[in-house]
This record gives sequence, structure tokens and C-alpha cells, in this order.
Amino acid sequence: MLCVKPYGMLCKIFVVPFYEMWDLPDIFVQTLWEGLVGGTLYSLIALGFVLVFKASGVFNFAQGIMVVFAALSLVGLHSLGVPAFLALILAAGIMFVLAYSVERVVLRPLVNQPDIILFMATFGLTYFLIGLGELIFGGDPKVMITKQLYIPTGALSFDFGGGRVELQKLDITAMVVASIMVAGLAVFFSKTRIGRALRAVADSHKAALSVGISLNQIWVIVWFAAGLVALVTGIMWGARSEVSFALEIIALKALPVLILGGFTSIPGAIVGGLIIGIGEKVGEIYWGPLLGGGIESWLAYMIALAFLLFRPQGLFGEKIIERV
Amino acid sequence: MRAPDDTTIKAGQTLLSVENVSLSFGGVKAIRGVSFDIKKGEIRAIIGPNGAGKTSMLNVINGFYHPQEGQITFKGVKRKKMRPNDAANGGIARTFQNVALFRSMTTLDNIMAGRTLKMHSNFFWQLWRYGPAEREEIEHRHKVEEIIDFLEIEHIRRVPVGRLPYGLQKRVELGRALAMEPELLLLDEPMAGMNLEEKEDMCRYIIDVNNHFGTTIALIEHDMGVVMDLANRVIVLDYGQKIADGTPDEVKANKAVIDAYLGVAH
Repeated sequence: MLCVKPYGMLCKIFVVPFYEMWDLPDIFVQTLWEGLVGGTLYSLIALGFVLVFKASGVFNFAQGIMVVFAALSLVGLHSLGVPAFLALILAAGIMFVLAYSVERVVLRPLVNQPDIILFMATFGLTYFLIGLGELIFGGDPKVMITKQLYIPTGALSFDFGGGRVELQKLDITAMVVASIMVAGLAVFFSKTRIGRALRAVADSHKAALSVGISLNQIWVIVWFAAGLVALVTGIMWGARSEVSFALEIIALKALPVLILGGFTSIPGAIVGGLIIGIGEKVGEIYWGPLLGGGIESWLAYMIALAFLLFRPQGLFGEKIIERV
Repeated sequence: MRAPDDTTIKAGQTLLSVENVSLSFGGVKAIRGVSFDIKKGEIRAIIGPNGAGKTSMLNVINGFYHPQEGQITFKGVKRKKMRPNDAANGGIARTFQNVALFRSMTTLDNIMAGRTLKMHSNFFWQLWRYGPAEREEIEHRHKVEEIIDFLEIEHIRRVPVGRLPYGLQKRVELGRALAMEPELLLLDEPMAGMNLEEKEDMCRYIIDVNNHFGTTIALIEHDMGVVMDLANRVIVLDYGQKIADGTPDEVKANKAVIDAYLGVAH
């Protein structure tokens, strides 16, 4: 319609999408919102990775399955008749036991081994947790106990730009909870003894040891923190769809987020998550049709690839300086 | 894991003794049967040519390495196999040859990290930074400010240490060790890579620490002038063995030491 023959494709890429954004602002706002919510959840997953990576230099492939495992524990305990909030506390307890066991059984024996070995060990942990999860809870998808945890459902909607924009209350809750969690972690990390010790370990193991910080203790704490983040992520993702082992795949989405934000930066994980979340939703709606749709599943990796070319340390990562 | 308090040791008595310690990495013998002692309140220097085993010795005292043979007695207690962070519990602080600071943290946070062991409020309060946790932060901040004052690094309080020049980084590292209020302070080449002025400053701080706080210091140093000025007693290592032990003057006159440093046809 708008585009004349010789410039047809260019016009469809560079003009039409923006015209559509302008023409139907309600759809644009709705898309942005969906992207923002998705992005928040990616940020949460990435946060779990960053915590563990900073303190122990391990890329924890098991973070995805930890999300599933935490959510399954919560739902499973509740189905046994445990009241919802008690089940929440017990699920947190299970994440602590997991953190403690991982430190004992996986990290401690492998201390001082090359990073790749620890990385492989987290693969092992992933498959172990999948097996254990299926053994205890069965492989069927479960419904998250949204009501019992008093998470509001339904939608807020308002008129905007000649249409209606719908905000799911669940999504609003997810945003609020994620923001509180991130703010809490930020204060914890910057202002307390244990937070300082965590950062200290991230910077230098031997210096941390020399001031009497126990690496083993710190590892348990970070894995526990990552476990708690996983639990929150599991509740929120679970409430949006369902609790199943398929959720584990979202761990892979954290990879582009980390490449964007930098593996060692908490603000990076958040901003990276939001960029990826919004980018893939907007891309899907406005540019997807040009490529036959379904670009949401790979666009994140393309964005990450572009970043790797120009800024390999990520947006907020420490600049890599090598002395020669 | 706190050190028993009834084992207070008076100035001049043996604080740490190393008996017959040997350490090897595979086939490399880094330390061979070395014995010496460190008396409370003194400045003890460990010198020797490159690769003599000085830093290994410090790592043994610090618990980073476990000697295959020999015995270490600290504050009258024979040491069992311990974990590296236990030495700090017992009152041993150290600095490193290649500065090991928490580079992304500020000077203040680095020195506060040295107070880790002195702070005890539990995880619950820490999580909210409320009640005991907050009181404790403030209390220890006072002590840290004293150290900052003492080392004259007020102006870099809020600077991430990774951005500081080398000389100042060394000073912050000393500050972090002092924050632990150690009984024994191990300094691994505190003056390495410094210019003359920075060296003089560092010397002054070391002497002040020793005089004012009565901290026992063991240091490794290559600058002979510095060692001879600072140290009460000197031990000389060469190829992992002790070749001399005594006052700076005695050591200077020792034939084996001169040979080790100048090289001699064996």
C-alpha cells in the first residue's frame, strides 16, 4: 500500500513497522508491556546466574532446573496438605538444603579445578535434579497455587489511543516482587558484612581468605540466594503458564541476557533482561510477519550475537584488560 | 573458632615458632627443614634471593600451604591441619606480594572487609540491615576511620581501589590487614615497586604500627637498606634452606649470606 515497487522490502523493514506503532498506539503499548513483563522474568533468571558466577566463577547451568525444582517443591508440598505459606517457607528450606549439599558434594571436592570442570558439574547437577524432580513429583505439569498465595489474578484495562490496553494483575505483581527483590539484594550486597564478604570473594579468593572469610560459607549463601531467586521466578513463571520441566528451557534465554548485561553485573542482568524481553516482543509483532513469524524464539540470540561483536564484556561487565 | 584468650603472650616471648618445616610441590622442594621463631613485639625480616622460599614460608605460616613435615606453634598452641581462613581467626593478618585487594570495592569497603571476623550479627539481621546489624556497622566504621586516619588515606575513602595508583593500593592493603587488629602481621614485599618517597612512607607506617599497637611483624623485603633499618632480627633463606639467622649486623657479616647474594662457584 505505502511502499512503491523498487523499495518494497526496505520500506517494509524501515517504514511500515514504525508507521504501525504510530497508527495503533494501544497495540504498541500493549506490546511494550508484555515485553517488559517477560523481560523482568528473564532478569530474575539472569540474576540467579550472576549471583553464583560472581562468587564462585561457575556458570551455573542448573539455574533453570532450580527454578522448576523450587516451584515443584512448593506445589508438591501444598498438594500434600501443607498450608500455602508454610509450603513457601519449606520450599525455601529445601533450596537451602540444596545449596548446602551442592557446596559439600559438588563445589568443595572440585575447588581449584578449571572452570570448565565446574561448568560440567552443573550439567550433572541439572540432570540429577531433573531425575530427582520427576521421581518425587512426577513428570506432569502442575498448576501453580496462585490463589492460595494471594497473588491477584484478572486484568486491569484502560482505554488508550483508540483501543484498550490490558495489564494482567499477575504481571504487575511479578514486576513489583522482582523490583523489591532486586532492591533488597542491592542493599544487602552493598551495606552489610555478609554482602561485603560476597563481593570480596568475587574479587579475590586469596585476599578473602586472608581476612578470614570462609569460601565454603559464602558459596552456601550465594547458592541459597540463587535458590530463593529461583523460587520467586518459579512462582511467577508458573503462575503465568504452568509448572513443568519445560520451564527449564528459559534458562537458555538467560544466556543472551547475560551476554548483553555482562556476567558479573547485577544491574546488567536487569537491564539486559528488559532489553531482551522488550526487543523480542516488539520484534515479533512488528518485524515477525516479514520473516513468516516465530522470530521471538531466536531474536534474543541474534541480539546477543551482535553485542558479542561490538562489546564482548556486555553493557555493564568489567572491561577485559589483559596484560601482555 | 576463637583463639583461647588465656594464652596471652608478653613482649619478648615466642609468639610463633616454626620447627623443621619442609614443603614440596611434587618434586620441587620449596622449603627444607627450616626452623625459626618470631618473638612478640619484634619486626622479623625474611630475606633471600629469588625463589628461596620466602613467600612459601609466609604461606605456610598463613595456612595457605600445609607443610609435609614439621611443626608450627602459634601462641603456645601446636597447629593442626587448618583451613586458610582459620589463620585470620587466630590473629594472623597478611598482605600479598602482588597486591590482592577487592578491586571493585571502595577503600572503605576493603578495610571494612578486614573487620569481617570482628562482626557477629547474624544472617537474619544482616538481611534487613536492622537492629544489631546496623549498630555493628556504625561501631566498626569508627575503628575503620581511625585506620584511614592513621594511614592518611582520607581522600580516597570512596574510590574503588582498582583505580588507585600502586603505592596507595599497597597502603589500603596494609589498612585492611590492620583492621583485623592482628597479633602477627605478615607483609610480603610491602615496598616492592614503590618509589623512594612511597618507600619512606611505608617504612614509617610499619614502624608506627609496631610501636603504637605493639603488633608483631614478619616481613619479606628485597631492599636491603630497608630491611637493615627496620628489622630487629633477620632470617636468610636460600634454596629453601635457612643459611643465617640473627641481627641485621650479624647477618650482613655472614659469609654464607654474602655468597648467596653475590654468587660463588660451588
